[in-house]
Amino acid sequence: MIYVNTVLSLKHTVINTKETAMNSKPFSLLASFAAALVALAAALPAHAVDADAALALAKKSNCMKCHSVAAKKEGPSFKETAAKYKGKSDAEKKLITHLTTNPKIKVDGKDEEHDSLKTKNDAEVLNVVQWILSQ
Amino acid sequence: MGATRMNRLRASLGRRAPLKLAIVATLLGFFVGFGGLAGTTAGLAWTNTEKFCTGCHEMKDNVYAEYKGTIHDSNRSGVRASCPDCHVPHEIGPKLVRKVHATWELYGAITGKIDTKEKFEKHRYEMAKRVWSSMKETDSRECRNCHSREGMSKELQSAKAQSRHAKGVAEGKTCVDCHFGIAHKEPDGPGPQELSVAASK
Repeated sequence: MIYVNTVLSLKHTVINTKETAMNSKPFSLLASFAAALVALAAALPAHAVDADAALALAKKSNCMKCHSVAAKKEGPSFKETAAKYKGKSDAEKKLITHLTTNPKIKVDGKDEEHDSLKTKNDAEVLNVVQWILSQ
Repeated sequence: MGATRMNRLRASLGRRAPLKLAIVATLLGFFVGFGGLAGTTAGLAWTNTEKFCTGCHEMKDNVYAEYKGTIHDSNRSGVRASCPDCHVPHEIGPKLVRKVHATWELYGAITGKIDTKEKFEKHRYEMAKRVWSSMKETDSRECRNCHSREGMSKELQSAKAQSRHAKGVAEGKTCVDCHFGIAHKEPDGPGPQELSVAASK
């Protein structure tokens, strides 16, 4: 929605700007361009994390059997995970891989497969990953 | 009764008045006692229902709403555990103790300690800690009212669950150390494993 609005407003601004360029001051021309650019820049990162949907998918995928958001359970809490990956640029990529490819993890010295998220939708996976990293 | 009334009553009862009085008093005692017991039992049973607990909006709008749809509320076989099953001990001694503690909740209700969503969230962790501590002290007694370790079939329980349970038992964990936040929203903060409570029973 934000994308559509931004593209439309950009288009509107460009058309307007062409007209106004013919007859108004250069300052207002610059201002309208700047406004459109700021709007576009603000919309570029992905839209806000849907915490409710992320938690619901996590519950459905049985994540909460071993993980808690903040408390100590069998696996690391999401707060711990977020702290571990803080500032790392490949955090999202690593977590997406972890949650979709069933990698082997060590439990009590034995190898076990880590379960994956119960969804084929990439956006939903990204939402959960971003939610975890925001804890 | 005045002294003269008593004398008149004794006179009207005729011979063996003391005995007759004693019998009547005993029978009266039985009926009053029985009535009191019946009333207490009925009261205990009534305050042990889902309907009673959710009579207060503090419960109905918060923890009950969260509990609805979870596995203890609705599942394949229809076997349910609602408010009293997890929060009131089954044994009569601990149950009475819990009921006495519960009268303090009336005070909380009157003073509106958790009567808005914001106030409830503020106290959520405190309330959760209280339940977790009590569970840890009793080795999750209320869980074990229905879930028995010995009753967990090796054929039907998943291998992963069996190994986790064996590990938990070996580490001296109790049910609630891992199985928390099931019926209600998990509060923000440390969980049962980080509570320093000596598990005794």
